[in-house]
Amino acid sequence: LTSEDIATAAHLHVRGRAPQRARTALLRVLKILVLSTFTLLYAETFVRLLSPQSVVPRYVVGAPWGVRGNMPNARYWHHTPEVDVEYRINSEGLRADRDYPFLKPKGTCRIAVFGDSFTMGYELDIHDTFTTRLEQLLRERGWRADVLNFSVSGFGTAEMLRTYEAYARKFDPDVVMFSWHYSDVDDNVRSGLYRLHAGTLENANPTYLPGGKAQNYLLRSRLYRFVADNSQLYTLLRDRAVVFTKQMLVNLRQESHAPNIAAEADDAGGRDEDEEVRAAQKQANLDLSSAVVARAAQVVTMDGRDFYLIEIPTRISRIKFRSSVDVLSASVRANINIISPLAAFENAAQPDLKLYYELGHGHFTPAAAQLLAQEAVETLARSAHLSACASPLR
Amino acid sequence: MLFNSSIFALFFALFFPIYLIVRRNVFRRNILLTIASYAFYGWWDARFLILVAISTSVDYMAALGASGKPVRSLDRLKSGAYLAAVTAASLVFAPLRNLWLALLVVAGILAATVWMKLIDHAAPERRPRLWLYLSLCTNLGILAFFKYCNFFVASFAALFALFGIKIDSPTLSIILPVGLSFYTFQALSRTIDSYRGQFEPKYSIVNYAAYHAFFPQLVAGPIERARHLMPQFEAVRSLDARMFYSGTLLFLWGLYQKIVIADNVAPIADAVFSAPAAKASAATLAALLAFTLQIYCDFCGYSNMARGLARCLGFDLIVNFNLPYFSRTPSEFWRRWHISLSSWLRDYLYISLGGNRKGQTRMYGNLMITMLLGGLWHGAAWNFVIWGGWHGAIQVLYRVLRIDSLIERWPLRTARGVALQVGAWAVTLTLVVLGWVFFVAHTTSDTLAIFGNLFGGSGYPAHELWTVAEYATPLALVEIYQRGTGKVEVLNSGPFLVRYTAALTVLLTIIAFGARGGREFIYFDF
Repeated sequence: LTSEDIATAAHLHVRGRAPQRARTALLRVLKILVLSTFTLLYAETFVRLLSPQSVVPRYVVGAPWGVRGNMPNARYWHHTPEVDVEYRINSEGLRADRDYPFLKPKGTCRIAVFGDSFTMGYELDIHDTFTTRLEQLLRERGWRADVLNFSVSGFGTAEMLRTYEAYARKFDPDVVMFSWHYSDVDDNVRSGLYRLHAGTLENANPTYLPGGKAQNYLLRSRLYRFVADNSQLYTLLRDRAVVFTKQMLVNLRQESHAPNIAAEADDAGGRDEDEEVRAAQKQANLDLSSAVVARAAQVVTMDGRDFYLIEIPTRISRIKFRSSVDVLSASVRANINIISPLAAFENAAQPDLKLYYELGHGHFTPAAAQLLAQEAVETLARSAHLSACASPLR
Repeated sequence: MLFNSSIFALFFALFFPIYLIVRRNVFRRNILLTIASYAFYGWWDARFLILVAISTSVDYMAALGASGKPVRSLDRLKSGAYLAAVTAASLVFAPLRNLWLALLVVAGILAATVWMKLIDHAAPERRPRLWLYLSLCTNLGILAFFKYCNFFVASFAALFALFGIKIDSPTLSIILPVGLSFYTFQALSRTIDSYRGQFEPKYSIVNYAAYHAFFPQLVAGPIERARHLMPQFEAVRSLDARMFYSGTLLFLWGLYQKIVIADNVAPIADAVFSAPAAKASAATLAALLAFTLQIYCDFCGYSNMARGLARCLGFDLIVNFNLPYFSRTPSEFWRRWHISLSSWLRDYLYISLGGNRKGQTRMYGNLMITMLLGGLWHGAAWNFVIWGGWHGAIQVLYRVLRIDSLIERWPLRTARGVALQVGAWAVTLTLVVLGWVFFVAHTTSDTLAIFGNLFGGSGYPAHELWTVAEYATPLALVEIYQRGTGKVEVLNSGPFLVRYTAALTVLLTIIAFGARGGREFIYFDF
């Protein structure tokens, strides 16, 4: 054999192997594709059969003022075992069927409501939400009032305050209402927008946009929106990831707003002391929330507006509820106006009446929203500020 | 750091890529494993790294000396330097008030130095025994102080009180370091094996430190034997994708046992056993069955996760649980339950006491002593001793009545044989379940209340029983398959698509039904 023969043979051998390699690679890609499809279909079926999920996509994006906001002009659905609800967000990021000009119409009173999914009206048709019912009741009583719903699912008091300061002020509201739910304690720690330093509330991080950029990017994709709106597997994974991330953030932010407790924990060590440390951490979290609520009331009042805190009671059972505001400090509770539907809920409670949905995400039913709106109207009717700004309808 | 926590996921994600880079160099790999293991343990409480280091440095020398090998000045220097370095590092992460630990270490080093001087001046044939004593005194001393000090003091005071003598028993505020009973027993076994000539220790403190503190099994076992695991730390371990996949599946199965079964049934047990007085029969029975399931899945789950993690790193740990609730006799139960501890007790306690070599009566006595001390190993309280005594007593009873050998002779081929075997299984399971009452009840009044509620109440249908059954049934079906086929690792057997689908199902079940909150493992307290 000459060296030329060997070179030719090698060349032919290599040429022969190339298509074989390509075929193997193609087969491998095909296998991966088949396996991925099988995995997704199997997982979706598993979840639908054994652990059905309420599909509640959240169209929440980063707002220009550094916290989250509803995606302007979004239109989406929630499907739970109890309800199918359509959501329409206006171009200003409010849950409403119309836009509101910054300039307030003469003779009209504006009420700005800030809150989380409860006041946003999750699991409720827009006509059944607290804000719509409140507006109706006010109008029925002869007041020309617009209720602007600035609520965003997942909001804590800190984000509500930032939204008020940076955005809602432009709408010149006369009355400002912040909702209060027990989850706000953790939300206020997690956001890291404020911290307590030697008992004084300080601004901490300028922004809180968890997954903000990614969410903004994903929500632009039609495929993502299809998956988020329809896949129970995606819903399950997202919910678990949110719980996990929220807990991680609370743990991390705990360190920055209450560092002394962590140091004491190191010092004490052991599991017996863990209880005390946890109690101290809980108290520090409550102190932070009390301070943020007090700051919100102060800021709104200094703007010359009325401030109200709306209590979202905690559901114990269908007929039993617990106050959520009693965790705030006594001095804060004494100095702010609180609208609480607790007594109304307890009076209305019956074994066959649901005030909170029980199979979906546990939000208000229309009955509860109505009771809260009635309670709010009773309180607002006593407001001198509202009387001054609104002209009775003829 | 819990295996089922986010911080562990982060820890492993950072550790594993570095491990892959250094794994082909034994020295560097073992350095990395030691540092990672100390970080893993120190996350809970950095102060107690000193105890791990004391046990490591003493047993490094003791095993060499006990095997008859010379313990050179260099080895003593290495041990001392290792202990000093870990002490200094752990104090960096502990507040200043814990400086007393450094003083304790200095005092310990001085005591050990004096002891070593004595060894050096002793006759050569006595030296191995003296090295063994050093290991026993150190490990059992740490265990006695940190785990049993208050128990002994309180028990003595109670004993004197029986005779009308009142003694003020000051209780010290002592924290039980996590995993103490596990790593001290593992260290002891290596030194005893070296003394018995069953293991030959090598001159490398790095290899030994990595073995001693190996994080997958540091805090809750399996309690490994040096002759099985130590050689793995002295060689490059092969590791490929198949092995990693298999380890991941084993970890996944352990995670399923822990967070889907153990953590979900735990509230049912807690609701009754936290205040057992005046509870309904149904609730008590459900709680007892829930605890039976919880303790098994909690500990077996941990062992599987530990084995899975070790396999992902190329190491093989022993099987710690082999379907124990399918045992037909109490002896078989202990051959299948916490195998690494029961074999430890058999090899180093039961056999050392004479085993069954010195007549029947002595054998029964040895069995009772072994089980009583085995019970005490689980916790510094009398209820654990009673639990050990219960298991000792039923084993003795089975042996006196020769039930063990009778069951072995019953053929499985006949219907009568099968019925008898099933009957034997049911009786053993009942005895084991009743035994958990002693384990879970911390006072005599609680024990009496539980038994009273169990047999004296009324109304058995209960929602909780169905909940326990919901979690127990899939596990029972899997274990019946395992028992029938002899395949212990269920996710690692069968054709690819079956294995893949099974693993996917387990993963989805963990995501959908796993309990949230990261409950600690029960055996961390031991």
